[in-house]
Amino acid sequence: MSDQKTNDTTYWKSLNELAKNKEYQKYAEREFPEDASELTDQVSRRSFLRVMGASIALAGFASCRKPMQKILPYSRQPEEQVLGVPNFYATSMPFQDTVAGLLIENSEGRPSKVEGNEQHPSTRGKTSIYHQAAILGMYDPDRSRNPQLAGEQVSYSDFAEFAASHFAETDRNILFISDASSSPTRHRLKTDIQSRFPNSQWVTHEPFSDDNRVEGTNLAFGQRLRTVNHFDEANIVVSFDDDFMTPSGHKNSVEAAWQFSMARNVNAVEDTMSRLYSIENSYSITGSMADHRLRLKSSEIEAMIFALAARLSQDLNGLDAYTDYSNSMSGHEMVETLAGELIANRSNTILTAGTGYSPAVHATISALNSALGNIGTTVTLHNLPFRDNVDNTTAFAEAVSQAQAGAFDTVVILGTNPVFTAAADLQFADAISNVETKIHLSEYVDETSRACDWHVNQAHFMEAWGDGYAYTGQRSIIQPQIAPLFEGVSDIELLHTILTGESGSGYDLVQNTWRNVLSGNFEREWERVLHDGIDDNSDGFSNASVSIQSGFASQIIPMLETSITDRIEITIKPDPTLFDGRYANNGWLQELPDPMTKITWDNVALMSPSTARSLGLPAERDFASDEVPMVRIDTGDGAIEIAAWVQPGHADDSITLYAGYGRNTIGRVADGVGVNIYPLRTTGAPYYRTADISAVDRMYEIACTQDHNSIEGRDMVRAATLDEYRENPNFSTYESVHGYEVPGIDAAERESDDYLAKGGPISLFDEQYGPDYQPQWGMAIDLNTCFGCGVCTIACQAENNIPVVGKREVSRRRIMHWIRTDRYYEGDEDNPGVYHQPVPCMHCELAPCEQVCPVAATVHSEDGMNQMTYNRCIGTRYCANNCPFKVRRFNFFNYSDEYLTTGDDPEIIQMAMNPEVTIRFRGVMEKCSYCVQRVNRAKIETRKATGSRKPEDGTVKTACQQACPANAISFGDLTDRNSVVSQHKMNERNYVMLEEINVRPRTSYLAKLRNPNPELS
Amino acid sequence: MSKTYEYVPEPALVKGNHDFSSINSLITDINLRPTPKGWYIAFGLSNLLLFVLLGSIAYLIWEGTGIWGLNQPVGWGWAIINFVWWVGIGHAGTLISAILFLFRQDWRTAINRFAEAMTIFAVMCAGIFPAIHVGRIWVIYWVFPIPNSMVMWPNFNSPLLWDVFAVSTYFTVSLLFWYVGLVPDFATLRDRIKSKVGKMVYGVAALGWRGSNRHWWNYEKAYMILAGLATPLVLSVHTIVSFDFAVSIIPGWHTTIFPPYFVAGAVFSGFAMVLTLMIICRKIYGLEDIMTVDHIEKMNLIILVTGSMVGFAYLMEFFIAWYSQVEYEKAIFIIRATGPYAWAYWIMISCNVISPQFFWSKKLRRNVTFTFIISIVVNIGMWFERFVITVTSLSTDYLPSSWGYFSPTIWDVLTYVGTFGLFFTFFLLFLRFMPMVAVAEIKGAMPQADPHNYDPETGDYSPQEIEIPEPNKESV
Amino acid sequence: MSTETSDKKIYGILAEVRNPKELIDIARTVNKNGYKKYDTFSPFPIHGIDKAMSLQKSKLGWIVLSHGLIGLTGALAMIYFMMVVDYPLNISGKSLMNIPAWIPVTFELTILLSAFGAVFGMFFLNGLPKLNHPLFTSENFKKATNDGFFICIEAEDPQFEPEKVHHLLSDAGATNIEEIRDDT
Repeated sequence: MSDQKTNDTTYWKSLNELAKNKEYQKYAEREFPEDASELTDQVSRRSFLRVMGASIALAGFASCRKPMQKILPYSRQPEEQVLGVPNFYATSMPFQDTVAGLLIENSEGRPSKVEGNEQHPSTRGKTSIYHQAAILGMYDPDRSRNPQLAGEQVSYSDFAEFAASHFAETDRNILFISDASSSPTRHRLKTDIQSRFPNSQWVTHEPFSDDNRVEGTNLAFGQRLRTVNHFDEANIVVSFDDDFMTPSGHKNSVEAAWQFSMARNVNAVEDTMSRLYSIENSYSITGSMADHRLRLKSSEIEAMIFALAARLSQDLNGLDAYTDYSNSMSGHEMVETLAGELIANRSNTILTAGTGYSPAVHATISALNSALGNIGTTVTLHNLPFRDNVDNTTAFAEAVSQAQAGAFDTVVILGTNPVFTAAADLQFADAISNVETKIHLSEYVDETSRACDWHVNQAHFMEAWGDGYAYTGQRSIIQPQIAPLFEGVSDIELLHTILTGESGSGYDLVQNTWRNVLSGNFEREWERVLHDGIDDNSDGFSNASVSIQSGFASQIIPMLETSITDRIEITIKPDPTLFDGRYANNGWLQELPDPMTKITWDNVALMSPSTARSLGLPAERDFASDEVPMVRIDTGDGAIEIAAWVQPGHADDSITLYAGYGRNTIGRVADGVGVNIYPLRTTGAPYYRTADISAVDRMYEIACTQDHNSIEGRDMVRAATLDEYRENPNFSTYESVHGYEVPGIDAAERESDDYLAKGGPISLFDEQYGPDYQPQWGMAIDLNTCFGCGVCTIACQAENNIPVVGKREVSRRRIMHWIRTDRYYEGDEDNPGVYHQPVPCMHCELAPCEQVCPVAATVHSEDGMNQMTYNRCIGTRYCANNCPFKVRRFNFFNYSDEYLTTGDDPEIIQMAMNPEVTIRFRGVMEKCSYCVQRVNRAKIETRKATGSRKPEDGTVKTACQQACPANAISFGDLTDRNSVVSQHKMNERNYVMLEEINVRPRTSYLAKLRNPNPELS
Repeated sequence: MSKTYEYVPEPALVKGNHDFSSINSLITDINLRPTPKGWYIAFGLSNLLLFVLLGSIAYLIWEGTGIWGLNQPVGWGWAIINFVWWVGIGHAGTLISAILFLFRQDWRTAINRFAEAMTIFAVMCAGIFPAIHVGRIWVIYWVFPIPNSMVMWPNFNSPLLWDVFAVSTYFTVSLLFWYVGLVPDFATLRDRIKSKVGKMVYGVAALGWRGSNRHWWNYEKAYMILAGLATPLVLSVHTIVSFDFAVSIIPGWHTTIFPPYFVAGAVFSGFAMVLTLMIICRKIYGLEDIMTVDHIEKMNLIILVTGSMVGFAYLMEFFIAWYSQVEYEKAIFIIRATGPYAWAYWIMISCNVISPQFFWSKKLRRNVTFTFIISIVVNIGMWFERFVITVTSLSTDYLPSSWGYFSPTIWDVLTYVGTFGLFFTFFLLFLRFMPMVAVAEIKGAMPQADPHNYDPETGDYSPQEIEIPEPNKESV
Repeated sequence: MSTETSDKKIYGILAEVRNPKELIDIARTVNKNGYKKYDTFSPFPIHGIDKAMSLQKSKLGWIVLSHGLIGLTGALAMIYFMMVVDYPLNISGKSLMNIPAWIPVTFELTILLSAFGAVFGMFFLNGLPKLNHPLFTSENFKKATNDGFFICIEAEDPQFEPEKVHHLLSDAGATNIEEIRDDT
């Protein structure tokens, strides 16, 4: 760990090592991986973890290199947040054509944890699973480590040489295919390129974008605009299959979820709640929050939107286009209900539809929003400074067919991976084979790289300079946290090379852009923006003034005929954890259970119980086995075989498939996991279409983390409607749930707000409590705002160095997550209610785990935490058995060792670890520690600063709490009456699980509320 | 007056007309005559199994607890099941030698040596599992209160720790008890064996015992006291083993009925195991005169009683679960009988509750083959009882979200099978080198041993008529 | 009768009888004649012989009791020291003096120590182990562990006179009377 600066000789030296390393060569050069099913058998589960580190010893140097340009630490601290010893740097994470403001915890010059940026509206200090997992993404040893020419390793200067000569001829017919980006710098370079290469064409390709929504506004208002829904402003939200709270469903999900939970946040009977109607085909987590949920096939949903417009055209102006329209959904009771609600709450409602639907649908939604007077209040529309005024989808399709026809001699593909993701009927790979020179910039040597002759390894966003606009238009700069581990280059650096033939520095490129943006003293302004992570002079995109354009009717009417058949329909959505497949090589995301199905490491065909029966498949899973039946899905254009999964509440005659799986040549984690469903996707039917489904006589092993779906009528989750709550605020107490008090409890005691006096049932012992001079830590989780996204799990995994164990171990129920989210179905299997319940360690006052440990390896700390002493644990597992909540996790194998110390350069993955948390070894128990490292850091800081033992409320945030977009988790000192957590625990909705067994959990829950339409109930 | 009952004289303990020395040679010749071929074969086989055990333990230590089928809800599987099963079996010996001794049940002399040996080897098999089932076997010694680098002590609140003390105490005391009984017989062998080495070895083992009645005087006292100590001990051991479950809060474990219920189960399985082994040995070694059908019948009666007690306990659990109205208790018992593990539950019921009921019939009680079959069935049933208790309660407890199914791996099976290797290796050595019946004791229990059975004048042996109690002289 | 011719010191005179009854009788006679240092030998304990030989009540009970008490107090002291004094910990919020939980271990240790007392106490009282003993020089005595019943009057007895003992035993109907000499 000696030299602090990048040393070129070192770099070259390590490249030679790279060249020498057999194992890496073998991997890099082989066309297909030797065994795609590495993860499925237990022995080579280990080999998979070995290869996670396998390749050249380069990171050894990387780990101690600082970026060469000056970047600024996040020193000024906002209220209610004391940052700890490590430095925090503001940056932002690009995702399609948005950026999200983040802070990166940077210990000893290496990024180790992602948090949200409190000052940035896109996150407000919160994060999504993609943000949290970005750390592991950057430290992924499988990322491409060098440019390649026809599979041969070359250096970037070789490419620069080539570019200099190749692009010297400016009259070339060049096709640029890029991923969506909001970067001003990239936009600047793009315009330069278009002027330098007049015959060039630039198209954008994103397999799952909101382009149709934009086209919808174009159709309705004649402008291509970004729709921003302000969920905190609305009384009524109607979501037509728009999973706006999931990062895979919406680019701005963190802010959306935050706003939505604000609108639903109830602390007292007088508080109000917005109402969510959700009409969708599969069960999304947004749907699980709905007060009224209707399940329909995608085609029916489309029809219902038109029908709703037709219905409303009777009462509202501006919907003339729909006046005489009707379809099979007209007169559906939901249409009537919605009409009533929407009219009653005019200009306080939001209608939104899933990005998959056609422009016509989105045009109708826009028209409805404007007719209802929502636009400008709950819905705002904005011009995008960086967006071409074209329909990206069709532009891309046309460009590809031209390429097919040989119209281009050069194709430059930036970031995106069309060979894998482009619609099947475009036959993209085939098309670009007619292009002479193919250049691909990507983080992995992926499907497209293999189809191109030049591959340039892309730098991770934490490694390179960049910039971009937030979804709502605030400008941010992306400042690197570490010099590129594998010497990758950013998209703007590549474009610069194409323009000039020289390798440029992203730093200068970005600065050059911002010189024209920032007013006043540039250096000072620049540093301010870097420091804050946002340019607060830019308060978002300007509102576009819109009105329904003339001729809208004539345009829309022909688009309104619907295609509802009684055949089974497949709907293709991006995977909640892997998105379009770009995160497929991320172990954390692969192992994060799907929010609804709780499936890890696989995608499945989701279908309703009755659809399953109609296909001759069992509607109930065999509790005793991991095997599920498979189905064959044939669209005519393509066919796949995939495991069938019964999803209660799924629409009948409809099957939902998640894209992003079935990758084969990008890395050890992703390879061979799941099934690639892109072959079923065509330009004609990118979202849904009919298909032939037939049961296949084969079983498939699925690693699901929750084998039992029903709550069995137990009281783990307690819920009521808003009205019931107002009638009986104490609806969630044990007494109201069971009709009688907890046997032997002194109710008076329990009612008292002094947590020390809070008794349980009478006990034979005089209990010891934590002393009052110490803070007494406790947690409260609000089930009313929690929507089960699972970011707490990933945040915890990142904070506490929790290993990835692989599919086989998960299917053996040995997943290591310290906080899990239980998902329960309630009611009839066709349209059940869903409850999400995050379950960390309860830190019971009278912890049953402690007394049974023969060696006292788990005991209570003075500040009331149930602590695990790893080096004392001998691993009897008795504590886990005796834990009523089953939150303890056992190292059955040496998971951490396999995860972190195998392979040639384990340093890479090791760098992702949190230096403040012990790595657990084989044979010991582990569990949620209430982030004791953060707690103690805060206690020490406070003691140093004020001499007090008790940190201010809010100074300690657990990883899960800090990440939660819905503010569902509160944590703090229970001896402080005014702390948020104390307030929550005094709230009448507060309850603890299993009160009658008198373990007295420190973690309690706030009961869930729903706000159904009184007329419907 | 009508006869109210018939007086049934105790059947003679030793069949055939034996005198002291014929009994003596009948038993000790087994140790003195050259080793039979069959023994070598049996010994070879059990050694093979023993290596299976050692192999699977080695792999376990090398690879980790993960090689077993354990998972997140089910943290205890076959290891604990086997532990409880073997310990249970290990209860018969001490029970027979201690409790039956206190009750002056002289028939015990035919089988107590044998049963005690079985006890000790069974407890050895049992002892292995708590030691190897932990995640870090190399620090298992932390469960003993010995100073260590952490200057920490074990946690005396933990039932597992109680287990450590209970089982080790039980093993030690059983061993002493067994040895004390063996001393006079070692002396017998010392005096009979020809080979020099044998004389040395047995001589040392006999500690110079010479049958002095001054010694016998203390000896009997000691034996009596040991019996008095072993009786509460044997009851306490399985009680404490049952605490492993009863003291925790898992539905189906947290039950006050466990201690008596476990002890009954232990006696049940222990007697069954003694029968299994005894029926084989009496045949092979021609000891039918000593281990008579009457013995088998008496033991079958005990099996019948304890079996019924166990059955009653099963019913009681259900009743209490319903009576307490604790929803989780109610749920677990319904799940046991109808849920994913119903198959195990009904195997348990039919083996433990139904099969012993056949012993209501005297004919079946005295039928050796039938007894042999039942004795094996019972031990299968008792294994499943422990399976049902351990696994079902864990796999479906409070939070339905964490319910999970347990299925064993090949390593679970091999480790279990291997323990039979250990057991039979030691048992065969015992049969070969130690008198499998307590010679001195059985002599003492023969009619010739009673001074009153001699003619006062000539001093010749003349057994007296049986004393028939007053009220019904005429009935005989 | 060549007592004085032998160079080795005489240990005692051993005689055999046929059965338990005779052993009791002869023991009673010898006892009546005021012999103190004598002993009877049989392959199994014989009921009533203690009276015939008027043996003292065994002291073993006291040994066991003392050991038991050591076990009891020792265990309690150990646990108290470990759980309360030396390394007190908050375990499940239970009080440090969690006596009910200490009972099993205390009980087991009490039993264990008592058992040691009983076994080793008995060997101690019997002067065992004593691998070598003059009686083992007699071939005939081997029967003592099989079906032989013996009585031996030791030379150490104050009123020991070979001839008198001889007659006493033979009159009492004993056979195979032989003199046993120290084999050292």
